[in-house]
Amino acid sequence: MSGVSQLALLFIGAALINNILLTRFIGLCPFFGVSSNMETSIGMSLSVIFVMVMASTATWVVWEFILDPLGVGEFLYIPAFILIIASLVQFVEMYLRKASPVLYRAMGIYLPLITTNCAVLATATEAAKPGFFKMNIALGASLSLGEALVYTLGVSVGFGFALITFAALRERLELVPAPRLMKGTPIAFITAGLLSLSYLGMSGWFGL
Amino acid sequence: MDLMLILKAVGALSVIGVITSTILATAAKRFYVEVDPRVEAVAAALPGSNCGACGNPSCFMSAEKMVSGELELNACVAGGQSVTDAVAAILGADTCDAIAMISARHCGGGDRAVRAYEYAGVRSCAAANRLAGGPLACSAGCLGYGDCVRACPFDAIHLDERGLPVVDPAKCTGCGICVKECPRGQITLLELVPESAPVVVRCNAHDKVKGRKANCSACCIACRKCERECPSDAIHVIDMLAVVDYTKCTGCGTCVEVCPQDCIDLYGCGTTVDTIAADGRGGDVITNVTGERIEAGA
Repeated sequence: MSGVSQLALLFIGAALINNILLTRFIGLCPFFGVSSNMETSIGMSLSVIFVMVMASTATWVVWEFILDPLGVGEFLYIPAFILIIASLVQFVEMYLRKASPVLYRAMGIYLPLITTNCAVLATATEAAKPGFFKMNIALGASLSLGEALVYTLGVSVGFGFALITFAALRERLELVPAPRLMKGTPIAFITAGLLSLSYLGMSGWFGL
Repeated sequence: MDLMLILKAVGALSVIGVITSTILATAAKRFYVEVDPRVEAVAAALPGSNCGACGNPSCFMSAEKMVSGELELNACVAGGQSVTDAVAAILGADTCDAIAMISARHCGGGDRAVRAYEYAGVRSCAAANRLAGGPLACSAGCLGYGDCVRACPFDAIHLDERGLPVVDPAKCTGCGICVKECPRGQITLLELVPESAPVVVRCNAHDKVKGRKANCSACCIACRKCERECPSDAIHVIDMLAVVDYTKCTGCGTCVEVCPQDCIDLYGCGTTVDTIAADGRGGDVITNVTGERIEAGA
């Protein structure tokens, strides 16, 4: 298989078939927390795409040049990656505030939320040392930086796609004459389950 | 060997920690953004609960807008007068009155409203309203089963002997829960009006006046007497119903006096009358509470 189609498969596998929210069930707090209206879910999705790609790049570099050569990665990766991601998000927030107030307004309130988000940690970890979360059977023993970026982009786009779909559904659910006990979060949980089932239908595509 | 591994781990994490903290410390200096100190002061004076009642997503944003003049100083609904005063003091402006809202009922029907059928179901307005639009012949009037009374968290609404909910302006905080609970709240049977609102129209009907009069003896008959007599052009008959413009109303009480139906009341904390006692008690009782028509004057 050529390099480009390999990357395309990696992207689709990460975004749809192994969707982090609906197939892997990682990052469910923002999935319910910010999905009550479309506008915030779009802002959150953009921030997640941005932060995930930055975080994966940073953790990939740290894994490749510090943790793995020293042989301490196996037990040190979680504290090290949390440290890196948290300070990276802080840095990005400061930079955005100075350099682009418009972007800061759009993403500002979501950035601190993502600092210690499990989906970001999982993706960054998976990009640096594949196999631990068993996120994608197509991944090899280790990824090049380019592959890691495509993979992360896939995961974060899949995250955004699922989040925005769910927000659209929830906006409609507001108007549904649901029984009083089911209104709000309960009906959202059930809808999330059905949405997850529909994503499971994609497993097995392209042998992924 | 094991000791070596521990040292390596400690070393690696320390190096990463030192590098990231140095970067962050430098960034905090280099990318420091100067915020208008007045904005910070105003933000500190606001309640900080980000309730959104002023129309802004956060208290900090409304502080920015108050400083830049886009937002009125009294925009903070939750904070009330004390916050308005504090903000005005910070910005060196004259203070102004906070706009507090209270709930008002636009119906004087009660036992004077004709019933289309006898309702014997659950004593709830929401349930009654679903049964062919409620037992009242009037489609806009108060059903009188007290959903608002039960919903009020401040014990500010009580049903009186006419079967109408009476709002105590002194207890009402303007939270609007009764308006949401009322099945006819969407069509302004219950509505939030300024706390200082001097008068309130006790009718909510927009249908033809003739049919309306057959439905209820307490309704607004759209005679336009109030509109003609009002010295400050504050009351108008819009869609066959008198509507008060509270930005113009001075509370002179002319409309209350001239209304032949007694369906305009003095209201609110701004007036000196006992508004609970005065709550729309004009007109003849034509039905008893169960809805049988009785002879006028009986």
